Amino acid sequence: MTRLLALVWPELRVPDADARPFERMLDALDDLSPRVEAVGLGVALVDVTGLGPMWGSERRIAARAVMLTRVVAPLTTRCGIGDNRWLATLAARLACPSRPEAPAAFHAIDGREALRDLPLTLLPAYAAMRQRFTLFGLTQMSQLADLPRSAVGAQFGPTGERLQSLARGHDPRPIVPRRRPEREEARAAFEPPLDGIGAVGLTLRRLAAELCDRLRERHLAPGRATLVLTLEDAPALRVAQPFPQPALEPDWIARLLLSRLEAAARLRMLPNANLVDVMRLERPDRCAHPRENFGESMSLGVVSGARAAQHSPKDNPIGVWQEPALHEPEHGLEPRLASVILAFDRLSDPATRQLPAFEARAGRWEELRWSLERIRHRFGEGRLWRAVDERPTAALPEHRSRLVDIGQ
Amino acid sequence: MRTDAAISLSLATALDTLRQRGLGLRRGSEAPMPEQARPSVPTGHRSLDAALGTAGWPRGALALIDAPAGSGATTLALGTLAAAQAVGGLVAWLDLDGTLDPAVAARLGVSLEWLLVVHPRDPAEAIELAAWLGRSGLIDALVLDLGEWAAPERRALDRLAGLLARSGSTSALVLSPAGRTVTGVVAGVRVALQRTAWLGIGRDLVGQRVQAVVERHRWALAGGSAELDLWFGEGRRIDPLVATLAQPQPLEERPALRVVSA
Repeated sequence: MTRLLALVWPELRVPDADARPFERMLDALDDLSPRVEAVGLGVALVDVTGLGPMWGSERRIAARAVMLTRVVAPLTTRCGIGDNRWLATLAARLACPSRPEAPAAFHAIDGREALRDLPLTLLPAYAAMRQRFTLFGLTQMSQLADLPRSAVGAQFGPTGERLQSLARGHDPRPIVPRRRPEREEARAAFEPPLDGIGAVGLTLRRLAAELCDRLRERHLAPGRATLVLTLEDAPALRVAQPFPQPALEPDWIARLLLSRLEAAARLRMLPNANLVDVMRLERPDRCAHPRENFGESMSLGVVSGARAAQHSPKDNPIGVWQEPALHEPEHGLEPRLASVILAFDRLSDPATRQLPAFEARAGRWEELRWSLERIRHRFGEGRLWRAVDERPTAALPEHRSRLVDIGQ
Repeated sequence: MRTDAAISLSLATALDTLRQRGLGLRRGSEAPMPEQARPSVPTGHRSLDAALGTAGWPRGALALIDAPAGSGATTLALGTLAAAQAVGGLVAWLDLDGTLDPAVAARLGVSLEWLLVVHPRDPAEAIELAAWLGRSGLIDALVLDLGEWAAPERRALDRLAGLLARSGSTSALVLSPAGRTVTGVVAGVRVALQRTAWLGIGRDLVGQRVQAVVERHRWALAGGSAELDLWFGEGRRIDPLVATLAQPQPLEERPALRVVSA
């Protein structure tokens, strides 16, 4: 018999809840069972069938799940165990903490008979349907469950039949285990650390090629890259860059990451940023204006607080490069690069990229999107648009098409 | 004392060496080398392609359409984009004033699916964005519509022209009524448009006839001209009957606008 454990975190079910720990909590639950489903934000289902001999009673299994997730985030948890999705989630809903400050509450529903005395208001029905149940004098699960199925179908329709199945404790929906997010990582460490991080471009290209080779063998393509630059005398710089499409092109990926790095460096030039660790872009061979080299980022340098004030004053709110007053070399201020970590995730089947085989222009457009992504990093939002022919037959010309931001 | 034969031999060796380095030097006695056709983007008008001498706007070059407002520069540029798309190209429109109407572009034959619309903040940024797009080598034709803005700096335009030449794949059209001062000097091709007649059917205006004169061409003989019929309405997909029935009307006989009170 299948036994499912439902875990509900009420603090994640409120609007504007911080959803960031949820994924990591699911990752933690993978240590308990390989079959974990994320039903929604703040609700998870774990298949605990057959775990008794290993972990003990169901209460102990639930306690272990709570312990694993509380390591990630100390949130209050409601645990419920039942034979199917409906019974497990209902049990979690009925779980009451033994004391107000208890971190977790547990409830188990053993057998379908336990449902009979519960009120019908627990069913996931619309208000109108509940009112109709009340109109017919149906207030308990047993009253609905005992009715003939054909009569319920005739009176309440398919929705009523489905609710009656739930009232009888039947739920045919299986658990759909999530795919554990895969992550491929490559790193390069420099011992001793490099003076300046001008060589990051070449290293990025090499790491991206290494990861692409690994994934190509598995017929997978990454959808996002995360780059971490560990600096010796400055906080680590971490950027995550989703790709326009899953791709296995090291050159495109390296160039896109460089532009993302450049954008991240400019963000650090915002007035509210820590000016001691402000980073800016500069060609190593000359003090060039980006408008002269058309955005070709060459290297990153760290500017001290005094000099950073020249680059990011209040009249330069978006971090646009400004001609510095002084041109002395800043070798002493450049960060020393200790390591580069490049990770690919959101792996998917690259089968969706077969369109270029049929339309050559589609392949070029796909390649162009990578350039456009770099342009977005360089120039900001609201520059690149695509016209969409929404209503070609509309009476007024202005209603026939509209512009859509390519970045969205 | 070196003999003539020795000098000739050393000259031949030097010429061979230079040829190997890609420098097409020749002796005066030798036949001229066949000139390689410069790749181009069709303008959408055969007569203008012929007048340009390069079968269209040359790739890797900046071209200026010098026309007073309402003389068909935008229509000609959109026709160019449509023609570039018809042979499988990707095109872009850099719209400084935000005046591009996608519906009009679609009516003139531009496939919106393969059109990139860029909204720069100012001419300097427009030049920079054009350089980025040109450098990618993926855009076949781009139109830089400066609108009412002043022409960009000469230095920036020079850099853009150089970058396009290095890329060699993108043809950039600049639409600027006031751009003749600076842009016209930098542009490798300059075409002036002048309206010569309206095209009408009865009292309805269906297009205009424009005289296009190639005032400057760096890679072909300048001075050619072409007469273009630019249609309002459906452009390339216009009903052939309309083109047949349309009659030129003198400019001064343009029907006055009538105000109809409600």
